[in-house]
Parts: sequence; C-alpha cells; structure tokens
Amino acid sequence: MLFNSLEYIIFLPVVFFVYWLFFNKRLQAQNLFLLIASYFFYGFWDWRFLFLILASTIVDFFVGQCIYSSTSEKEKKNWLWLSILFNIGLLGFFKYYNFFIDSWIDLTSIFGYSIQNTWTLKIILPVGISFYTFQTMSYSLDIYHKRITPTKDFISFATFVSFFPQLVAGPIERASNLLPQILDRRVFKYSQTVDGLKLILWGFFKKLVIADALAPIVDDIFMNYHQYSSSTLITGVFFFTFQIYGDFSGYSDIAIGTAKLFGIELSPNFKFPYFSRNIAEFWRRWHISLSRWFRDYLYIPLGGSKAGTWISIRNVFIIFLVSGFWHGANWTFIIWGGIHALLFLPLLLTNSNRKYVSSIVAERTTLPSIKEFFQISTTFILVMFSWIFFRASSLTHAFGYLKTIFINTNSAPYDHPSGYRMIDYFIIIILFVIYEYRIRKNERAPFNFKSRYVRFLIYAILLLAMLLFYDDQIDRSFIYFQF
Amino acid sequence: MKKLLKKCILYSFLLIFTLEILVRIFYLGKDNPTRYLDLYEVEKWKPNQHGFSVTGNRRQNFSEYKINSSGFNSYREFDPTKDKVEIAIVGDSFIEGFHQDYFNSIGKKVENSLPKTEVYEYGYAGYDMADQLHLIYKYKEQFDLIDHVVIYINFSDDLTRDAYNVVRDRLALESPINKALKRSKLLVYSKSIGVFAPIKQGIAKSINFLKGNIPRPETRNDNTTNINKDNVYIDNFKHLITTYGYDKDRFVLLLDSRITSQDFIVYLRENHFDFIDFSEAFENSKQETTLLYDQHWNNHGRDIIASLISEYIRNK
Repeated sequence: MLFNSLEYIIFLPVVFFVYWLFFNKRLQAQNLFLLIASYFFYGFWDWRFLFLILASTIVDFFVGQCIYSSTSEKEKKNWLWLSILFNIGLLGFFKYYNFFIDSWIDLTSIFGYSIQNTWTLKIILPVGISFYTFQTMSYSLDIYHKRITPTKDFISFATFVSFFPQLVAGPIERASNLLPQILDRRVFKYSQTVDGLKLILWGFFKKLVIADALAPIVDDIFMNYHQYSSSTLITGVFFFTFQIYGDFSGYSDIAIGTAKLFGIELSPNFKFPYFSRNIAEFWRRWHISLSRWFRDYLYIPLGGSKAGTWISIRNVFIIFLVSGFWHGANWTFIIWGGIHALLFLPLLLTNSNRKYVSSIVAERTTLPSIKEFFQISTTFILVMFSWIFFRASSLTHAFGYLKTIFINTNSAPYDHPSGYRMIDYFIIIILFVIYEYRIRKNERAPFNFKSRYVRFLIYAILLLAMLLFYDDQIDRSFIYFQF
Repeated sequence: MKKLLKKCILYSFLLIFTLEILVRIFYLGKDNPTRYLDLYEVEKWKPNQHGFSVTGNRRQNFSEYKINSSGFNSYREFDPTKDKVEIAIVGDSFIEGFHQDYFNSIGKKVENSLPKTEVYEYGYAGYDMADQLHLIYKYKEQFDLIDHVVIYINFSDDLTRDAYNVVRDRLALESPINKALKRSKLLVYSKSIGVFAPIKQGIAKSINFLKGNIPRPETRNDNTTNINKDNVYIDNFKHLITTYGYDKDRFVLLLDSRITSQDFIVYLRENHFDFIDFSEAFENSKQETTLLYDQHWNNHGRDIIASLISEYIRNK
C-alpha cells in the first residue's frame, strides 16, 4: 500500500479512529491492533512476503533472548552471528543473488571463460527488506553490546519490527528508540496529532509537487540523454537532485507524521541536506537513520577515524561503498558510494569532518555569509553530479550521460514531454528552496508561524500546488521502495 | 479527540472554500456549456453561450469558445443564401474546436484563403457519421443553400451504427446533479486532471470483486475481427447515406487514410465519392500537427487542414 494511494487514504483514518476509540485502554490491545494493521498494510502489496518479516521477527526475538541469557562471550557472539547471517542471508538472496551471479560471469569472461547464465533466478524483491532486516539486526546488536535488554513480549517486538509507517522505507529505527515507546501505553495527545498531520501535509507536498512533477522530465532526459544538449542534461540531474529529495524526505515526513498520530516519535531522517556546508555535514543530514546505522554498527566497530590514517581511510571507503551497495544490486550505487568516499576523504585528512556537527547555516542571521553560500553551492554541485550514478541504470549509462554533458555543448531548449511550461518547474523549485531555508531550524515543524492566518494560507497554497502539479499518468511509487 | 474532529471538519470546509476561490481566480476549471436536444432531435449546444475551455493542469491550454445562435462553436452566424458561396464543415470535436480560440478555427483559416466565402462549422464533440448525416438531413433547407459540405470522418469511430438515435449518455451530463456539481470549479478542475480517477477505479474494482468478475484475456483473431469490423462499418455507411441522403456533387469527406480501412477507400473511389485525404500532408509536415496533451490538431495541423479544404474548393 502506497502512502499516496486511495487505499491508504481510507486505511489511515480507519486505523487511527479504531486505535484511539477502541484500543485506547490497554497496551497489549494497542500493540496487537497496530501489528494487525501493519501486516495488513504490508500484505496488501504481497501477503506472501509477510512470512519473511515474521521469520526475521521470530529469529531476532529468540536470538535476543539467547544473547542476553548466554553466559560466555563466545556463545553470545555465536547467537549474534546467527542473527546477522540470517538477515544478511535474506537480503543477499532476495536483493543480491542475481547481481553476484552476473558479476561472476562477467569477471570470468574477462579471463576468457564463457559460462552459461543458467543460475540467475526470477526473484521479486520484497518491499522494505533492506529496512526491516537492518532494524531487526540492530536489536540483536544492541543487546549484544548491552545497550538494551531483550523484551519478552513477542507481540510488542513484532510491532516494533513491522510498525507500518516506517516498515517499507524507514526511518530505520533503533530498538533503543522505538521499542520503549512500543512497550509503553500511548495516550492521545492533541498537539502531537496536529504536528503529525502537518508533517503528513508537508510530506505529501514534497512527494506530489516536487518529486512526482519532476519525475517525467527526469525520466525523459535520462532515457534519451544522447539526444539532448549539455544544458538539458544538467537540468535533468538538477531536477533529479530535487526529485529524490522530495520523494524520500517526503516519504519520511509522512512516516514520521503518521507515527505521531499513533503516539510514537520516530527518529529524524532528513535535516535539509542541501544546505550542508560540506559532504560530512550532508551525510549527517541525508538519510540520517541509515548513516547512523552504518556509523554505529560498522564504522565504529572497525575503528572509526581514531585508528590511524590508513585504517581511517579504509573505514571511510568501506562505509561508503557498503552504504552505496545497500541501495541496490548495481555497480552504479557502489561507484556513487565511492564518489562520496572520495569527497569525504579531504575532510577526514584535514580533520574537518566534524566541523558542522551541531550548527546550521546562517544560525543567527537571515542570510548565509558569502563563505557559507560558496560552501553550500559547492557541496550541492558535487552531490548533484554524484546523483548521475545513482539515477543511471548502468555504468555505461552513467558515463554516457557524463560524456554527453561535455560533448553536446549546444544550448537547444528542452520541451516537456507532455507540453507543460518548463519555467513552472524552476519557479516551484526556487520557492521550495526559499521556504525550506525559512524553516531550516526545525525539520519537524514546517509550519512554525505564529499567525494562524499565515499558517492557513500556506496550507491552502500547498493544496493548490498539489492540484496544479497533479499528474494522473505517472508512476507514483516511492523511489526508495526499490531498495 | 472531539477537538481534533471539530477542527478537522472546520479546516476541511475552509480549505475547500479557499481552494474554490483560488481555482476561480486563476481560471483553472473549464466552463461547461449546456447541451440540449432541439426540435428535430439534433443534439447541440444551447445557443448564444460564451466561455473558456481549459485543458490540463496549470491552464496547459486555454481557449475561448462562442456558441452561436445555431448552437455551434463559431465566430459567425450561419446564414446561407443562394447568392453567397458557403462551405459547411461538419464533424466532431476536431471541427468543434474547443481546444482553439473560436476566432482561430479551421473555418476562419479557410475564409482567410478564400475571400468572399463564408464557412460554417457544425462541429460537436462525439458526433459520428449518423449524427452528421442526420443533422444535414434535418436541416435540409439550410444545407441545400450551402455550396460545399465537408464531412470529417474517423473510420474506426464514426461508423459504428447504421442509424441515428439520440445518445442518452451524453445528455445525461445535463442531469440536475451533474449540473449542480459542475457549478463547483474546484470539482470540475479536479475531475479534469484525474484526481477522481483512482476513486472511480477503486469503486469499479470493488464492484467487480464483489460480483466475482475476473477480467479474462480476449482470444480473438485480430485480423479477422478487423476485416469483419471494416465490412460492418462500410455497410453502416451505405445504410446511412441511403437513409439520410448524400449529395455527391456537393459533399466531400475529410479523412486520414492512415487510419481508414483500405476497403473503404476503394469503395469510395469506385463509387465516385470525393474525399480529401490529409494523411500525406500530415506525414510530410516537419512540425507537429497535433497538440501534445491530446490528439486534436494544433494550429499547424489546422493550417494544413484549412489549406487542403481551400485547395479542394478552388479546384472544384
């Protein structure tokens, strides 16, 4: 079930009212109902894959208990490996099996061996598998590292794993944040619900107006890149930069807002990443829940940046390459991760990767300084060009796109595939950037204006924009569902 | 919870009201002229209406229409006499031309290239050959005074029936409920951009599911089906011209041979029906001939059609 589907528009209010009207009294009832709703939400897409979630839930529930009750370190480690191998095994089979087979065949062909490709399988990628496997693994890892104690309430644990707002595309929740909330009875709070509704509205705006409106243009330019001039190709990747942001951060806002409706606060996932002053700051603001996951469970255990220069460089490359590979079974994602590692490296070597940890751009002023403006622009351009690899269907496609930018230097105008005015899209992006800049201090409060009239006017304008940019012909699924 | 419900209802009402105002201010929703059935049971627009047709979101196409006293979208009144040279162009939405300004229509373009000629456009969305010949038949006195009658025909759509009868589905759009709904520009606009399409599909899906209907793939032989269809359509054409009459001296068909059955073209040639085929001119055009957002002819397409009609009349 997509957030932007008719089914969800019916599903959400029904679940919301039933939850607060009939399951308000007891924690067990609240969790059981949320679990049923979450399984229905997921099963609506393909009920067969519910068994995978259930399997992952059962394994980690018992592994968690076993790690906790184990007396020796070796025994604990064995149980932890069981969890890791099971979850990575699921992910490896459903997401990466064909990629490894194809890559092996390609590799052997380089050395003159010809292998018949009879091993690849027609595997459907279960939606959200990369998210919930990481979430369940974090539970076992946290118990192993003694950050949390395991729960004995299976229903609550299953609710933690499959909580529908964040089940299919995050934020990837840590047991230490979400599980205590699941284990505590929720009480209806008017202000929390209103905040949730506001975030949902903002998320829908980002998805429908920014991401969905730009999608047909981006698809057309990337598909037919060889026909277009460099200015059009730059426009294409510029639009994709906003499309992917609108799509994923829009999804995250809807997820966080929806969770609020049920009295649950999810972790942040985006904090205005395009206002970052360097790549390190960008990664503290983009897909935060994934970055933190890799930082805590991969980067730091490997030694982080405190284990000597060469080890630190190695760790940076490992974390970025693995993070790229997490996104999809394609070399394009690995190269994308590699580019970010290269961009991160100078910051690591000059010890400036922790420079903007808690500050934001123009913290005490209205406008950024010239230095900040230059830093933001540079970071944005670097990130933008790296998206070419993320969006391209293959490395040949990505390099072809880049090459054409430098070859077709004429500046022929681009026409929208459905005949719309192109200027509209630039205007909406400019207005969006200005508005995001205005609200840059708090990503959870997009309508933080004192006057209720101003707030109302903004709601009306956002809804009008949704109507103005609505397109019933396009594919509405979220980009991150494929990961 | 009560407070939340109250506020949700209040805000929903206020937002819908505000959006209605904004949609009206920016003129996003199209005007809907009223249709009716005249004394001769000819379906047309109620005379003397004026408004704007809007296509797509963000006013992708915005054009003015003007329904004359005869009930058709035209820059002029239809007043044929024996002394003047008149041309009638009869057809569906392509001739009706709500997608263009009424003063920049095919008829106007023909008049520009044929001075001292008046062109009357009898276009109405959804008209097929039965509608068109029935109209000419019922308004025989008027059409007898017109020197040339160009009838636009789309073979696969316009010959599906062999006799005229009133299309009740179209007239149902004038039901009191529909009329009331059309008064909301927000609804009109939302509907036109497909906001309600998922709801309609959802309802249809649910009904099918409840009835246990599972769509089955069709296993017909397409080639045979097309041949059979072509024969039926040609028979329908024969039947229609027998019923309502067809003056081969004054009438000419306007068609695109790329989407017309070759058997029908052969039939027309063998039986000395004049026709203007615009397929070659469209194919040779270096510019696009249709609009990007729908299949209707754009300004260049209309230029081509107008020049072909003018050339035909000049050579006649």
